[in-house]
Amino acid sequence: MTSPSTKGSREPQPDEQLEQSLYAKRQKIFPREVHGLYARLRLAGVLGLLGIFYFTPWLRWNGHQAVLLDLPARKFHIFGLTLWPQDFIYLAFLLIIAGLALFFFTALAGRIWCGYACPQTVWTEAFLWLERKVEGDRMKQQKLDAMPMNAKKLRIRATKHTFWILFSVWTGFTFVGYFTPIIELGQRLVQFGLGPWETFWVVFYGFATYGNAGWMREQVCMYMCPYARFQSAMFDKDTLIISYLPERGEPRGSRKRSTNPRELGLGDCIDCTMCVQVCPTGIDIRDGLQYECIACSACIDACDDVMDKMGYQRGLIKYTTQHEMTGGKTHILRPRMVVYAVLLLVVMGIFAYSIGTRTSLGLDVIRDRNRLYRETADGLIENVYTLKILNMDKVAHRYTLSVAGIPGIELFTDMKDIEVTAGDVMELPVRLRADEAELKVRSSKVMFELVASDEPELSVQEEARFLGPR
Amino acid sequence: MQDGLPMTTSRISRLQKCIAILWPSFLTAIVATGVFFSAFDPDDLFPFDADPEISRLGFYTIGFLLFWLIAAVSGIGTLYFAITNCMRQGQGKQDD
Repeated sequence: MTSPSTKGSREPQPDEQLEQSLYAKRQKIFPREVHGLYARLRLAGVLGLLGIFYFTPWLRWNGHQAVLLDLPARKFHIFGLTLWPQDFIYLAFLLIIAGLALFFFTALAGRIWCGYACPQTVWTEAFLWLERKVEGDRMKQQKLDAMPMNAKKLRIRATKHTFWILFSVWTGFTFVGYFTPIIELGQRLVQFGLGPWETFWVVFYGFATYGNAGWMREQVCMYMCPYARFQSAMFDKDTLIISYLPERGEPRGSRKRSTNPRELGLGDCIDCTMCVQVCPTGIDIRDGLQYECIACSACIDACDDVMDKMGYQRGLIKYTTQHEMTGGKTHILRPRMVVYAVLLLVVMGIFAYSIGTRTSLGLDVIRDRNRLYRETADGLIENVYTLKILNMDKVAHRYTLSVAGIPGIELFTDMKDIEVTAGDVMELPVRLRADEAELKVRSSKVMFELVASDEPELSVQEEARFLGPR
Repeated sequence: MQDGLPMTTSRISRLQKCIAILWPSFLTAIVATGVFFSAFDPDDLFPFDADPEISRLGFYTIGFLLFWLIAAVSGIGTLYFAITNCMRQGQGKQDD
């Protein structure tokens, strides 16, 4: 934070004045286009990830959309797997796995997530590409920005924003296509027949894309990203970082290509500021490791290019570790890595096991809320329940229902056969009757068991309470 | 605070305050919506008095916006108390 620290500024001042004097306005950043190994890697990441995002909803699997998180029907289809709201635990598992993976890769390779895979980076790259196609390179963009508004500037800006908005709407549409069948959604879109909620989400997600990737850009990483704040906690001296080598580069200064820098008393840095110009967050990597650095390695590519031109060795800015920089050796296998890896493998193992052994049968027992119990004409105590039977399998099943827990307890239902079609829920009203003499306490435990008649290993148990007068 | 200036609300720009309130509450609302609606089906919650015009997707949307609003209100409170506390402490230092 830069602020004047004169004695006078201690005096209370009108709010507006303080705001102006204490906050430097954000400098707009025009990152220069960069070519090189890491730029190609990032491009591969961007194309791959955007490809996955935009293409996945169009994939088909056994006659339905392969990945459809069908919120209106409360069922998630992921290829052959169908998840129900009861399976919410798997989502929690997935989030834990994602978190642990982030820890593991951060400790190993620093902020590679930020530089190559974060949606913010990926979409910003796409928006930057559109911007370059319309406005031209960095110099042209800066010139255009400084120009007063005129017909030409208005035309160029309008073109850019039109492309940005079209791309954003397509993004929002794709996003909604994960939640409602995308083919029908597309048909409704071209007929202008989108429902109000679908429209809301297309616009909302599209606007978020446009705002974040078009306008906010590096500010999202600097002010809004929680990961950017805590990632340094996972760092140690063996974590991969991008660094400038000051002992090789300093003292920096311009020189002719033909001169020997050692004779001039100069290091290898020619102070061309290319590393600053390509930086999407507008920092100078030569100032050391900074939290604004998203490790996109654009400065490495830019500097390597300059080193080639000067005939110097590459790697004045490079991927390195603190150990390597201080002359030591980088250790990949270290306790922190082992702990993260073991945790990750254990959680992934539990996840895979529980998905693999998941029963495709669900049973919910809901007690009748109106009455605790009823005494029948023949002196028995009766409790009423509604059972919800979920057949999460791909085929229809017949089930046998039984109950245990109180000696002599009887089960009555109006339904002769309990048959549930594939992927359906059946509500089944059930009455339980027990002799008062068998009830030791006011609330006894009973256990419902549902077994598929055609597949005895397909069964589920659910506990319930049986209430009586005692 | 390093420069000895009292902390005032204007030290943080209005835009940053908006982001500080809306962004974390947005993330919270996503989680809350996910947990809430995986436990409760809107069709079960409002079986009779629900407007048939409002689909499940509509309930999810309204639920999400409500969660966002609630979390944002809490964020406003946090920011308000944090800032007024800092202001008091800043003034206390000045008096020394």
